Amino acid sequence: MSPHPGAGEEVRMELAIRTEHLTKIYSQRLIAVNDMNLEVPRGSVFGLLGPNGAGKTTTLRLLLGLQRPTAGQAQVFGKSCGPNAVSVRSQIGYLPTNPKLPGNLRPIEYLDLLGRLSRLPGEVRKPRISALLRAVGLLGATDQRIQTFSTGMCTRLGIAASLVADPPLLLWDEPTAGLDPSARRFTLELIRELRKTKTVVVATHILSDIDQICDHLGVMHEGRMIYTGSMQDMKLRLRQHDFTLELEGEAEDVRRLAREAANLKGVDTTVDAGQALLVRIAEGRSRSRSLADVLKLIDAGNLSLQAIHSGQNATENAYLQLLQEDEAHGFHR
Amino acid sequence: MDSTAKTSKIGTRMMPYMAILQHDMKTLWSSRLVRLWLGATVLLTLLLVGANWANFQDGTLIASLLFPYLVFPWFFVVVVLGVTPVSGSRTETLADGILSRPVSRFEYLLATWSARVVLVLSVYLVVIVPAIVLVMLAKRPVPEDTVTVYGIVTALFVVGLVLTFLVSLGFLTGTLLRKPLLAVVVLIFVWYPIGLILSVFSLEEFSPISLNRAISTQLRRSWRETDEKAKDNANVQDADAFTDQVSNFFSVFSSVQPKPKASKPDFFEGEKFDDFSVFRVTLGYGLPTIAAVILASLCFYWRDM
Repeated sequence: MSPHPGAGEEVRMELAIRTEHLTKIYSQRLIAVNDMNLEVPRGSVFGLLGPNGAGKTTTLRLLLGLQRPTAGQAQVFGKSCGPNAVSVRSQIGYLPTNPKLPGNLRPIEYLDLLGRLSRLPGEVRKPRISALLRAVGLLGATDQRIQTFSTGMCTRLGIAASLVADPPLLLWDEPTAGLDPSARRFTLELIRELRKTKTVVVATHILSDIDQICDHLGVMHEGRMIYTGSMQDMKLRLRQHDFTLELEGEAEDVRRLAREAANLKGVDTTVDAGQALLVRIAEGRSRSRSLADVLKLIDAGNLSLQAIHSGQNATENAYLQLLQEDEAHGFHR
Repeated sequence: MDSTAKTSKIGTRMMPYMAILQHDMKTLWSSRLVRLWLGATVLLTLLLVGANWANFQDGTLIASLLFPYLVFPWFFVVVVLGVTPVSGSRTETLADGILSRPVSRFEYLLATWSARVVLVLSVYLVVIVPAIVLVMLAKRPVPEDTVTVYGIVTALFVVGLVLTFLVSLGFLTGTLLRKPLLAVVVLIFVWYPIGLILSVFSLEEFSPISLNRAISTQLRRSWRETDEKAKDNANVQDADAFTDQVSNFFSVFSSVQPKPKASKPDFFEGEKFDDFSVFRVTLGYGLPTIAAVILASLCFYWRDM
């Protein structure tokens, strides 16, 4: 007998998504998702990160029951996923990558259709549709057919569509793909707003998006989940003694500086994009002293310092490090 | 109060089904195929009525109007309409838009199937019913016929049932094969030699040609008439009339005047199927229709989107 009956269930209740050994093999040929164990805490903004073809979209489609797992199982709020798991889908708002929408409909007609699919009564549906269209900035396009919409407008409508039923879990697949900067900013701000009341899973390969909005992260590579945890833990994995120095001056001077700085004890340098110098300070060395030595060299050289960043691109570096480690493990994977 | 609550509960439960049904009907109605089909059906019906106005008796003329639905060319349109919902490029839109919502696959399939059946039957009835009323009520320079209301209703029902079966067959093939063009080609190769296929199972009486041949007899049946009695009434005239219908149908297109008495091709010579049992035909087409919908649902359920 467990000393705390139901304690395990309590922990499970805190999870929005849980998968156990989830596997999807297409036609006995392609392994899209490989023995994946994933836990997404309720109320988190979870970034599902991975290169193209890593299995992110397949994972989302397995959760929605659009595809059947070859092995393992997936649960959303404690309920098993599957093609007829209507109660699971009623908890999920899904935004596909570049959503394919019925072009012959107008936005209100489309959202009304989706509202009816979610069994929302008219008195709830109608005001919500107008509120959503206003929120995504499509109020001025309500008389246009969807086939005349740009990619950005389709994504905005897709976002509204995923929110029609006001679900507690959002699965957004590449929500910023093909968006211009302002639309991208709008989407990211919306996610920040939604995190207050919902669990959001964002599948993407755009690291800066993850960096800005996510508090938890799962990294997928070749169908496998190679890392899950908080963003903080992910960044801690990275070597801590990195600085990026943005310089102004001739490229040759920057390269000379890099060579000179590399001669300093415990300092390693790399020139990045011509004008940026990445300085790595070995463990055990004083960061301030080493950095001061490098700054002296800059001062002595024909260069001016524009900015210093500590831990810049930490997520990107940590992500690349994870991928490299995963590939290096080879058979042991 | 209780019944209102019950009705509203059923209404809420049926909401996704009704939403998909209405959406599909609207999409189908706005498609060129359906509009062209409706126009062509009206035109062909007018041509057939006009060309045979002074030649055929009521029963024969009505049977000739039903010929395009049972044999050629509307079979093709009905099959294409049945094939499309879960195949081809629609699948992605479908997955993104509808199946990722709280809708079961069976609900979706049943709604899209119903939409197609309702649309096909609507186009068929909207054109054929006024044409039949016109033929029955107008004074034409032909001898009086003994067409009954029961006969008309059962004949319309049988043709409607065959059309429903064709939609369901298209639906099943489209679900199984995924590629709409391939599904249509397969259906053409299956449906046109259907008489041969049915003869293997000694079920020739269910072939569309046999049914069309028996329609004029059916039209003259009364409510209380038994199958046996009706069989006695079936006469050689109907077989001749059917041959006339076929030759006349094609002559409408070729603008060649129909011969007053066409010679009977060997295929249509037999008098074996000048009558049919409505019950047997209902079972013969109804059960395969239900089987096709169930098989399509199972196949769709196991399918990845």
